[in-house]
Amino acid sequence: MRRKTLVFVLSVIILTTFLGASFRKEDVQVHKLDNGLKVLLVEDHGIPNVALFTFFRVGSRNERPGLTGSSHFIEHLMFNGTAKFGPGEFDRRMEFRGGSNNAYTGDDMTAYTDWFPAAALEAMIEMEADRMQGLTFVPEVFESERGVIASERRMGIENDNDAILVENVRATAIMAHPYHWDVIGWMSDILSWRRDEVMAYYRTYYSPNNSVLILVGDFESVKALDLIKKYYSGIPAGAPPPPVTTVEPPQMGVKRVIIRKEAQTPSFIMVFHGPNCQDPDFYPLSILAKPFLRGESSRLHRRLVREEQLAISVYGGIRKTIDPQLFMIYVKPRPGADLDRLEAVIDEELDKLRKDGITEQEYRKALNIIRSDFYSGLQTISGKANQMGASEVLYGSFEKLFSQMDGYAAVQRDQVRLAAGKYFTENNKTVGKLIPEGGAK
Amino acid sequence: MKNTFRTTIAAFLLLLVSVPGEGAFKLPTPEKIVLPNGLTVYCLKSSEVPIVSFRMFIRGAGSAYEPGALEGAANLTADLLLKGTTKMNADVVAEALDFMGADLGISAAEEYAQVSAESLSEHFPKLMEIAADCLIEPAFKEDEFAKERAKRIDNIKAVKDEPGSAVSYYFQKAYFGAHPMGHLALGTESALAKMTIQDIRGFYKARFRPDRAVAAVVGDIDRAKLAGLLKATLGRWKAASGNAPALDIPALPRPKGPKLVLVDKPDATQAYFVMGAPGYPMGDKVTPEAEVMNTLFGVRFTSWLNTELRIKRGLTYGVSSSFQEWAAGGLFSATSYTQNSKIGEMLDITYDLLKKGTGRGFSAEEVESTRNYIQGQFPPTLETNADKAAAYVRLAFYKLGFDYYGKYLAGIGAVSAAGAGKAAASFLPANDYVLVVVGKAADIKPLLAKFGTWEEKKITDPDF
Repeated sequence: MRRKTLVFVLSVIILTTFLGASFRKEDVQVHKLDNGLKVLLVEDHGIPNVALFTFFRVGSRNERPGLTGSSHFIEHLMFNGTAKFGPGEFDRRMEFRGGSNNAYTGDDMTAYTDWFPAAALEAMIEMEADRMQGLTFVPEVFESERGVIASERRMGIENDNDAILVENVRATAIMAHPYHWDVIGWMSDILSWRRDEVMAYYRTYYSPNNSVLILVGDFESVKALDLIKKYYSGIPAGAPPPPVTTVEPPQMGVKRVIIRKEAQTPSFIMVFHGPNCQDPDFYPLSILAKPFLRGESSRLHRRLVREEQLAISVYGGIRKTIDPQLFMIYVKPRPGADLDRLEAVIDEELDKLRKDGITEQEYRKALNIIRSDFYSGLQTISGKANQMGASEVLYGSFEKLFSQMDGYAAVQRDQVRLAAGKYFTENNKTVGKLIPEGGAK
Repeated sequence: MKNTFRTTIAAFLLLLVSVPGEGAFKLPTPEKIVLPNGLTVYCLKSSEVPIVSFRMFIRGAGSAYEPGALEGAANLTADLLLKGTTKMNADVVAEALDFMGADLGISAAEEYAQVSAESLSEHFPKLMEIAADCLIEPAFKEDEFAKERAKRIDNIKAVKDEPGSAVSYYFQKAYFGAHPMGHLALGTESALAKMTIQDIRGFYKARFRPDRAVAAVVGDIDRAKLAGLLKATLGRWKAASGNAPALDIPALPRPKGPKLVLVDKPDATQAYFVMGAPGYPMGDKVTPEAEVMNTLFGVRFTSWLNTELRIKRGLTYGVSSSFQEWAAGGLFSATSYTQNSKIGEMLDITYDLLKKGTGRGFSAEEVESTRNYIQGQFPPTLETNADKAAAYVRLAFYKLGFDYYGKYLAGIGAVSAAGAGKAAASFLPANDYVLVVVGKAADIKPLLAKFGTWEEKKITDPDF
């Protein structure tokens, strides 16, 4: 029952060259309604179900102090009542028709994910269209859902030492940009969100021209498009949301976070400011992350877990986001481990990357891993819908899903070394340590 | 995320259900290959994606079959199988797997050990070679044993830092006690500390036998090629000599009266609970009625538990109930969490719902909606190659037959409100149950006093 919440770790890792005949750009039908809603349709009759995913271009990057966490709060309120379908009706009607749904909010996007039998298509399209602008924010429901989010924050962050450290390190490394705070928001904001402000936020970002609708599964495209037009055409386009203008200033020296709290095991994290997902440096850093951090054969696992036995596990890398993101190195240290030694070992390994980059064998390994991840993500109708939607939000084009391999394939091995030299510098580094106090030895 | 979590058990419950009517989805019948050493492999060619999945269960190699003093041995054995063979050391194995971007995992459930492997089609032969080497010719080196054992002991401490994880292990111990089903997959600090490499070798030798294994391969590979590959890899696994060890598991314990356990975690800002009572064994004829009841009570988003605890009152982010089924019997459990000051209210409501379920039962409309929900959500549970391979192995392991879902269809479609009500009366606990709470005792003890007498533990005490 271990799980992390909220932050959608994009594994949209993409390798077109290797795309087989199973899923091609040509399979995607693209439509745009007059109100600006982009619609992607992929017929896939493997199972008698449909995945209906709606992506909105809004996430924690669009928030401001006082309203932190409101993107995610609206995600919850989206199940809580419109003028047409009162609180709870969405779920009741959907489940009666055999459907289920979830949703997630990330730094850059909010996605609503529905899975249902083919026969429920019209009912689901009707309800999705209805809640795009129809939420009523019933005051009692607003308050009850606030409690749910507070519980989610207690579960996801406050009662998870690793998450506490990550939140602190992120907020220390990122000074100005809204990636400063976690998607869930600060507890004091959660407890004091105002209904009128949250409603205004919803009206700003929930419009057909700020979203993408994706259907993958067992339907006929012509009929599905008719239904989409029937229910969505009447929704007016909104004013374009304000751009996010804050740019994170360059870090000017190493930053350190030390947390002392009751715990049986320490936590450790090291981060560096990295590029955004469209930056040419994203590819070499993403390639580097595989032999450096992924799996038991990775450099850091071998050093920290196997040889020096300082850690239980190691993972990390860089996520795809619209604005520059942190490259993260997470380590779960052993109880009593020397965290200074642990940091020194990572520094040594980063030095090697800066000096020599990765080997040819490691480079090929990275490409194999990336390719394998990619196909794993495309095994289901939901996986396909998710990858296309994320690609739309991050790159403004689902086509990027089918061409990104060019980005990976074009990376020369030496670019990995150069990227390591550019980003893994002392001035660009933030280190966090959670040191246990009290508790068992 | 909006939804409450779904346990693997809940996922499997869905997997046992089928879909009626138009567009019905059927699990394809696999082909069967029996190797000379007694190993049965079911296979299905599927070319949708260039991925091949392998799954195997080895009966009797799970944690319930560990000798009493060796709690954790099954999973430690599984760990060590990946830590070097007679031909390759642990680093070579890891490098070979990672280089292909392939996954190979070995772990122990209660009744079996499980091997799962998946890779791109082009790498599958190499992956099977490595998997077979690990399984058949493990090195069981002393230094690797020491490292893995230390890692497992450390991991138990890490689990105790997360109350949401820790509570389920405290519950398993409180419910099953010294019964073999109470052996924690994690092991315990005290048992692991005494374990030796000889114990692991002994467990492996007695319990890992091809005649007790069943496997499946699903993916983009031809049957002829696969048959040759299996022969050259798992075919090398020597038929076991000597009598196979017993597979008996004593009858599962049944709580008499309430058993209440409070675990103090002074820094917890939420209190986490698990409550459990007897369920039913795998494949029991009550399954359709029990599943409809459970889905309605605590699985789907509009379930009774989620409606009252989350939707109406905002007490929690996550709440669920589930059935766990084994050949030896089953378990019903419900779980949630809330801020320390609200745990009394949360338990009051949970008790009320249990009482309402056993007393009043469910409406015809609720039950109809639940039938539709279970049926509609079934096809995606068998969508991937790994899903299908796991289904074949599970159906074969529990001798349910590959037409199980078809038969089950009739069952699920026929569940009436009365049937679901009967299941509620049978399985929702009234007086006989185990309830474990992990939270900050100083704050929650006064709120819990009214529920009875609590056995108290500290999260920093060794073991569970």
